[in-house]
Amino acid sequence: MKIIACYSNKGGVGKTATSVNLAYASAMKGRSTLLCDLDPQGASGFYFRVKPSKKLQNKAFFKDVKGFLDAIRASDYDNLDLLPANLTYRDFDIFLSRMKNSRSRLKKTLKELNSDYDVVILDCPPNISLLSENVFKTADKIVVPVIPTTLSVRTFEQLNDFFKENEYQRKKLMPFFSMVQQSKKLHKETMITLRKNYKSLLKNYIPFSSEIEKMGVHRAPVVTFAGKDFAANAYSKIWKEIEAAVKI
Amino acid sequence: MDPFTYFLPAAFNQKKLLKNIPSEPQYGLSLEKTEVWQGILLDTFDEKMLGSNNMLFQVGERLLCFDLQSGQLIEQASPETWSFSFDLPDGPVTSILKGISSLRAFLPVAKVELYLQHGTLLDDERKTRARLHHLTISRGGKTVGVGSAQYLRGYDQAHADLCQSLEKLGAVSRGDVGQVYEFLKIKREKYISKPVVRLNPDAPVKESAQTIINAFLKIARRNEKGIIADYDTEFLHDYRVGLRKVRSVLSLFKGVYSPEDTDRLKQDFASLMQKTNSLRDLDVYLLNKKQYFELVPEDTHEGLEILFHYFAGERRKEQKLVSQIIKNKTYLKEIDRLQKLFAEGAALIAGPKAEEKSIAFACRLVHKRYGKVCSIARGIDEKTEDEAIHQLRINCKKLRYLIEFFAPIFPENEIKTLIKSLKALQDNLGNFNDYSVQQTFLRQVLSEKMGGFGGTELKVAESVGALTAMLNRLQQKERRQVMKNFALFDNSETRATLAKLFNTKESVHENNRLLQ
Repeated sequence: MKIIACYSNKGGVGKTATSVNLAYASAMKGRSTLLCDLDPQGASGFYFRVKPSKKLQNKAFFKDVKGFLDAIRASDYDNLDLLPANLTYRDFDIFLSRMKNSRSRLKKTLKELNSDYDVVILDCPPNISLLSENVFKTADKIVVPVIPTTLSVRTFEQLNDFFKENEYQRKKLMPFFSMVQQSKKLHKETMITLRKNYKSLLKNYIPFSSEIEKMGVHRAPVVTFAGKDFAANAYSKIWKEIEAAVKI
Repeated sequence: MDPFTYFLPAAFNQKKLLKNIPSEPQYGLSLEKTEVWQGILLDTFDEKMLGSNNMLFQVGERLLCFDLQSGQLIEQASPETWSFSFDLPDGPVTSILKGISSLRAFLPVAKVELYLQHGTLLDDERKTRARLHHLTISRGGKTVGVGSAQYLRGYDQAHADLCQSLEKLGAVSRGDVGQVYEFLKIKREKYISKPVVRLNPDAPVKESAQTIINAFLKIARRNEKGIIADYDTEFLHDYRVGLRKVRSVLSLFKGVYSPEDTDRLKQDFASLMQKTNSLRDLDVYLLNKKQYFELVPEDTHEGLEILFHYFAGERRKEQKLVSQIIKNKTYLKEIDRLQKLFAEGAALIAGPKAEEKSIAFACRLVHKRYGKVCSIARGIDEKTEDEAIHQLRINCKKLRYLIEFFAPIFPENEIKTLIKSLKALQDNLGNFNDYSVQQTFLRQVLSEKMGGFGGTELKVAESVGALTAMLNRLQQKERRQVMKNFALFDNSETRATLAKLFNTKESVHENNRLLQ
């Protein structure tokens, strides 16, 4: 089982769209895939029309594995399941801090899934917290969407520094350009500069696309309703690069 | 959770199903229906699809396969006419069929009309909570359905609701394909190559012999049509096994019939079988074609190709001949006569042992044959002539046949274990013999048939040479394994089972004496 986190310490960079579409791309390649919505806003679940279970909202279910497994819902697509966002994630950081060895807690829980899934994709909330540190430790790779603008690049550099300072494995980081507008000079230039500095940047990028924005209307992965869209297909290319990197 | 797989002995009523589904939560059912197709239900002669609870349909240039066990419904493109799994392009149905049989032809069983319905049970946000696949099959005014309700992780209740509604419609969980046949009045072959024979341990052995012979004669005769039509090579194979078993009873059950009757009958069956020898030999060659090619270097493949082309031509001729013989009145009269003779039994002259109790007879014969196998095997070392190995093979085969014939009067599990313990040795000896027979056959091609290869004799001779050398090497390899495999069979466990079942204790002592 490979764990791929989709993370950015900045909001609005296309993180949830990335998680949803990468999870779909993985499932379409025949890999049994679980998308975990760790973001309390619960947008991944919304895209798949999955309601969070009322019963489970009030349970700190990382504490008990059965609760965790029971909360998983099948999506409408083959090979793709979803762990809908749960309100207790807000309290998850507190919960984790109370526990000894809290940083390996997520890993232990995810291990229970080993036989069920080839790929687990974590859609993470945009902050650096104990939960995200858990993710940094647990994930095999961390995909980071970066909009080629000064501010977005700066946040990525901050993340990189944070990894360095805290001795997390920086080779786990897989940044890629998101919401790219080739017509913008700034985007183009930023991409060229950043590619020089970060060799780990993925070759493929996600262009800005109104089809991706329409995911909220269709409530489905973008390829399912806009299969011919360039941006839609860029996700499967990015997924290929990730697959090659994690060797599955 | 497994899908709910069902058989519905009626037409699928969508309205009724929706009515049956609870109103809370607010479900919607979206159903897509295909057009009605004209299809052909396919199966092998020995009903291997039915046996594994599968149904296979040819619908134009497509194949549709429904597994009533798992609820899996798969489709694949295919040519409109084909016979064997290896005739098909790669695909999910092909791989299932390859697993079912690579030797048997898939034959039309019945013409049917069918259509598919794919349904999704949706919630108020139009999220799928359960799936339904239903295949409607109609024939001669009767309609049934098979299908499955698929569970989606986390939506147990929706699945349970759907299953319950289906059950209210009359769906039977885990039906079997036999029920579909019955409802649609589709005739079944019900052919099994290994007949279930019931024997009474205390009945005179002549009765048991008659029962066994009747069963195997019936098997042989059921294959006649398939041999004539040349559907697949298994028909001839089973036909010959049937007749061989009859002959074995005649030769192994000594003293059941008068010596004159025994000799005459053995001759009668031998001459029936003999007519099919060449065809079976050619079948075996052609079935093993791939292995032969793998045995020899690539530069001899051209010659081998010519040789196999020749075999294929010879087979066509032989098949025609055999089919003519089996259709011929002379054959039919003869086999009818033999069948009648054993069915009635009155005209057979009893031999001195005819009245012996079956169980006593069985023990006596197994005991004797086991002793013989052991004494031959213990005499074999590296320098022994191949003839002794052949003798061991023949006696092992006789021992197995004897045990198999009388198996119905002994505990099933112990007999199975016993036959299993003989298997490695028998396979080993069987291979040894096959390689030897094949070399003889090839030598015969070299010495007698080369005239038929105008201009390519040299190439053919080269590949025959290469193949013979390889077969010889394989034969020697098998030969070196014989002692090891005999030791595997000749263990205390097998001896104890034999002693317990057939009272062979004394023979063990005898053989121990031989060893000393």
